Amino acid sequence: MADQADFEQDAMPLAPQLYAAAVRLTRNPSNAEDLVQETFLKAYRAYESFEAGTNLKAWLYRILTNTFINNYRRDTRRPQETDLGDLEDVYLFRRLNRETAVGLSSSAEEQLLEGLVEDDIKQAVEALPENFRMVVLLADLEGFSYKEIAQILDIPIGTVMSRLHRGRKALQAALWDFAAQRGLVQKDHQ
Amino acid sequence: MSKCDDAIADVYSYLDREVNWYRTWQIRRHLGDCDGCEKAFTFEQRLKIVIRERLHEEVPPEFLTRLRQALETDR
Repeated sequence: MADQADFEQDAMPLAPQLYAAAVRLTRNPSNAEDLVQETFLKAYRAYESFEAGTNLKAWLYRILTNTFINNYRRDTRRPQETDLGDLEDVYLFRRLNRETAVGLSSSAEEQLLEGLVEDDIKQAVEALPENFRMVVLLADLEGFSYKEIAQILDIPIGTVMSRLHRGRKALQAALWDFAAQRGLVQKDHQ
Repeated sequence: MSKCDDAIADVYSYLDREVNWYRTWQIRRHLGDCDGCEKAFTFEQRLKIVIRERLHEEVPPEFLTRLRQALETDR
């Protein structure tokens, strides 16, 4: 059992991270502030039910994602795992190697990775359907393990992996489009 | 499936450190032999870091102040 008096000291250091995830989830800084505040108030009121010494960060993300699902999500359809189609593995790498000048691969990779700016990455993440976005953010922004993500979202590990893999490939397809718009990929055919 | 297809199918689990030690060993051995897969894995690893770094979001200090006040009011 955790002591409610310790909540602020224990949880406030995690607020900046939760805020970053909340901005990408809600796609709006003001909704993100509301979502984090609601998460913190719920967590504070329930802190005595939190088992001290267990994973506080995962517990807070569980409250955050539940609150998001209940109050903020727009996409209320039942999630379809096939929504994102079936893109090839290592999508960006393969597309880059196929479509750019042969022999320039390492500099072409460099150009792409260095040239993608924060806005490209953020927009590509925000364009993912919510179920995929949550899993990608938990894995790629927060570094949670598959097991932790399964517990946070209350879904099977197989579903975590499927959404993460599909979500990452869709993210890479979106990044390819940004890179092409910015002229970061020089195609070898006219 | 070829060894390359096998390795690429596990690229995310490998980079996320979600495969067991034996599979890790198998993949590392394949990457030592296969330039194409080694490049693909290195690219995915770098992309993963780029994505994490560029998703950075600065939290407004006023918001943290408001959050503390909200917790204190709730007390």
